Amino acid sequence: MGKVIVITSGKGGVGKTTSTANLGTALAMIEKTVVIVDADVGLRNLDVVMGLESRVVYTSMDVIEKRCELSKALVKDRRVENLMLLAASQRNRKDDIRPEQMQDICEKLKEEYDFVLIDSPAGIEQGFHNAAAGADEAIIVTTPDLSAIRDADRIIGLLQNEGIEPINLVINRLSATLVRKGNMISKNDVLDILNIDLIGVIPEDTGVIASTNRGVPLVHTDRSPGAEAYMRIARRMIGQRVPIPDMREDSFLDQIANWFSRNK
Amino acid sequence: MDFRSLFTRKSKSSSIATQRLQLILTQDRFEVSEDSMKKLQIELTEVLAKYFEFTMNSVSMSIKREGNSYVLMADFPYSKTNKIR
Ligand SMILES: Nc1ncnc2c1ncn2[C@@H]1O[C@H](COP(=O)(O)OP(=O)(O)OP(=O)(O)O)[C@@H](O)[C@H]1O
Ligand SMILES: [Mg+2]
Repeated sequence: MGKVIVITSGKGGVGKTTSTANLGTALAMIEKTVVIVDADVGLRNLDVVMGLESRVVYTSMDVIEKRCELSKALVKDRRVENLMLLAASQRNRKDDIRPEQMQDICEKLKEEYDFVLIDSPAGIEQGFHNAAAGADEAIIVTTPDLSAIRDADRIIGLLQNEGIEPINLVINRLSATLVRKGNMISKNDVLDILNIDLIGVIPEDTGVIASTNRGVPLVHTDRSPGAEAYMRIARRMIGQRVPIPDMREDSFLDQIANWFSRNK
Repeated sequence: MDFRSLFTRKSKSSSIATQRLQLILTQDRFEVSEDSMKKLQIELTEVLAKYFEFTMNSVSMSIKREGNSYVLMADFPYSKTNKIR
């Protein structure tokens, strides 16, 4: 029996779809069986980020309305074994689906796959509730800025009310340089404020844009800092103990100050 | 004195953001208006002022997440010389 993990955020554009694509791919690369589910009905994107848009024939809506078997609606990934995509309908609205219907799909998928990752839409409305309906666990994605963190806090409260646990945090687009200059909220401050478990930090990485352009998830690129960060999260998700490396957030002055206080 | 303050003239924007966020989230988590929060703060202070001496504007309140629940934290700094009345 696998697990269903919803990847959500509250605020839009913080990296949910990018994270779902990369974590799904990374988990399949380390030999897990995975389905990634696009729950962003009407604004689907996961197929595009995966480079699978031309292969999508059926969507979750076709499964719900019994036009197609669930197994037939799954699109096989082009690059990795054991990775499937369930696309969202582009012609429907988020409230055309009820939470029980999503739950039903999740229940069936987790009987056969190790991981079912749900790419949630932004917001706290019906679309979010549908995405979270079948979830056992959650990953919250936030960027280190005020509004994204505020919205993440709201979402954490909602997920806790639903009894979803654990809820893990991914901090995306962290720039060590900006933190050092005092222009970006640091990892530790985000953790201090949200007070949930951190599962990984993804640096700002221009490779993400190129990978989206190509329709090839970043984790296929060797030695990209973003790819390495996603691979480490995937390993943590399968229970391996992988440390979260510290990015050099201390400024030169901080380092001198640390040196002085050590040598007092 | 921290010698770094010689080099940095104004507060960093990230620490301003962190402070603002603490305040915003306390209100969000409370689900009450700023006014009600102020009122609660004043009333709590009035009760405690029967026993301790402190200045009103040094009092601060926040809500912290602890696992699945929330903890209301109120700081009433007072000096040790102030004995209980
Ligand atoms: N680590 C990163 N470095 C640089 N760019 C990034 C990073 N993560 C995401 N992006 C960019 O941010 C944009 C939004 O990402 P994405 O679509 O994954 O967010 P989302 O949370 O799914 O958005 P939505 O709420 O609209 O569904 C994309 O253009 C993506 O390329
Ligand atoms: Mg998205």
